[in-house]
Amino acid sequence: MSEVEVRDLTVEYQTSVGWLPAVAGASLDLRAGQITGLVGESGSGKSTLALSLLNAVPAPGRIAGGTIEVAGVGDLTRLGGKQLRKARGGAIGYVFQASQNSLNPLKTIGRQLLDLGRSHEVGDLRALIARAKDLANRMGLDGDRVLDSYQHELSGGMRQRVGIVFALVLNAKVLILDEPTTALDMLSQASVLDIVRKVHDENQLSTLIITHDIGAISEIADRLAVMYGGRIVEDGPLLEVLRRPTHPYTKALIGATARITGDVDGARALPGRPPDLTTVARAGCVFRDRCPFAVEVCAQTEPELHSFDSERRRACHVEPSTVLTGTTGTPAAVGEPA
Amino acid sequence: MTAFARRLAGKLAAGLVMVWVVVTFTFFLVHALPGKPGDVQYEQYIQSGMNAEQAAAKVKAIYGYTSHDSMLSQYGGYLGKLLHGDLGQSISYSGVPVSHLIWAALPWTVIPVLSGLLVSFLIGVTAGVVAAVRRSSRWGGLLTVSGSLFAGVPAFVLALLLLVVFHTEWNLLPDAGTSDIQYDPGWNLPYIGSVVQHAVLPVCAYALLSYGGWLLAMKSSVVSVLGDDFILASELRGIAPVTRARYIGRNAILPLFTVLALSFGVMFAGSFFIEDTFDYPGLGDLLLKSIGTRDYPVMAGAFLLITVSIIIANILADLCYTLIDPRVRR
Repeated sequence: MSEVEVRDLTVEYQTSVGWLPAVAGASLDLRAGQITGLVGESGSGKSTLALSLLNAVPAPGRIAGGTIEVAGVGDLTRLGGKQLRKARGGAIGYVFQASQNSLNPLKTIGRQLLDLGRSHEVGDLRALIARAKDLANRMGLDGDRVLDSYQHELSGGMRQRVGIVFALVLNAKVLILDEPTTALDMLSQASVLDIVRKVHDENQLSTLIITHDIGAISEIADRLAVMYGGRIVEDGPLLEVLRRPTHPYTKALIGATARITGDVDGARALPGRPPDLTTVARAGCVFRDRCPFAVEVCAQTEPELHSFDSERRRACHVEPSTVLTGTTGTPAAVGEPA
Repeated sequence: MTAFARRLAGKLAAGLVMVWVVVTFTFFLVHALPGKPGDVQYEQYIQSGMNAEQAAAKVKAIYGYTSHDSMLSQYGGYLGKLLHGDLGQSISYSGVPVSHLIWAALPWTVIPVLSGLLVSFLIGVTAGVVAAVRRSSRWGGLLTVSGSLFAGVPAFVLALLLLVVFHTEWNLLPDAGTSDIQYDPGWNLPYIGSVVQHAVLPVCAYALLSYGGWLLAMKSSVVSVLGDDFILASELRGIAPVTRARYIGRNAILPLFTVLALSFGVMFAGSFFIEDTFDYPGLGDLLLKSIGTRDYPVMAGAFLLITVSIIIANILADLCYTLIDPRVRR
């Protein structure tokens, strides 16, 4: 069962040379009760995908095609006005990076929670505040103190948790976290991830975590989706994808991850640079220029994202076994998730 | 609130020091002018038959010192009189205390300046918000251009333009003075009506003078707040549009309190030209005339008052920040 079903989603941005896709025909499920990690380099379209899950692609962007079915809400791409506004925050909670100032600097956290409640026409504001305090306490914050604080009185890790309070206080069942560990030190990273796992389990959420940190995500995610050039190139259960990557990009990404234990030289940087809107290939596979396995067909036909092994999907012309055993870009051993 | 009181006390102390610096500076500036202040009068009194002692006493009454005293005791005399609220006596209006002249001129500057500020603030800030939100449309562009235009036109050009259009061409409004001569000054309707009628053009001049500044400042402030993370965050949380507009407005208007204090000073500077053009007997007019007649005590008094009001405006702006912005409050 899926809480969110994204089908053939295409998001375009207007540029000087016309409308160009940042997300091209992406399909993705957020399964009920599971944490999905979405990884990819900067510019791969993962943040655009996340924003479009709220139908909130900023101008000059637009959702050009596809559907986003959210359980209990319907197709988000067809919603507008008040219905859309209520779905944002009400059905789907969005958590910003810790480094971002996602709160009004002139109002206390508590007053902004009241603004949130009133905007969503919550009848019992006392209960809302009580729930917010409870959520905050469960995440290791002093609820009373935090609600009386201004944003500038909170640390990055505290802001991150307050952001989660805002995302969940209206009982949203879908939680989206954009780079939740970026700009935090290692200890805060670990604690934020623990907290995400905890609130996820306690509230039976469907969670999407967007990150470029494949190491962090491997600690808590159930499933992993890999994005490149606006396409989802591979996804499946986390352990299977990490242990047996079948897309050359996934394999290279895993190989590029530095580990705390072991030599930094064990990490291998990807050659070349990720494409942007104007340089992404129009025909054939978008990864072929950087792909050590590229064959002739890769330049002509774009590989389709197809299912295999029942639970997994990949978009590559090369055989999975070739990618897995290929000598080029050998991945270092992946640490066992906790 | 004790923190607020401490802050207020600190600001006032700093303000007093600034006033003292300006007073000292003005005193020595006036002394640096060619022809020592007081000497001309002293000679006149001698020529009119006074003896040296009488003449010196008379000059001392006007200035608080004579040029025969040492510089330091002159300065001390001036400061001493000032501390008693005595700004000396006017030269051109012989024997009239400077403070009387200033008190008489003050309302004719302060009331039009404040009215003009209020009008231009309301219109300019509203237009600035529209110009920011609709910045890619034709209307937004036009508003921005109007802001740059009015911010760039000098006060005297603006005042003359108003005079030509509304008096010379259309003859809608009077061109000079504060009221028509036939009415008795006081709280009667015809007189007040006449005063309002005469004040329209100066107020418009003040308003147009600062309108552009408000618009441009508010526009850039709103544009920068619109790009802030928390505005996107509030959208993604489904915050109601009215509430979001309040978030934007309150955050965007903050930096304008500094502009408010500065524009108070700009308005006083503009009052020389505007009061001169409309023959309006305010502070600017008084100062201009006193410069023409070398009326040093009036000059020093007017300078002092303008400085003090700008310093007070700055203190008020700072205090506004502490009330509105929790990040400044401590």
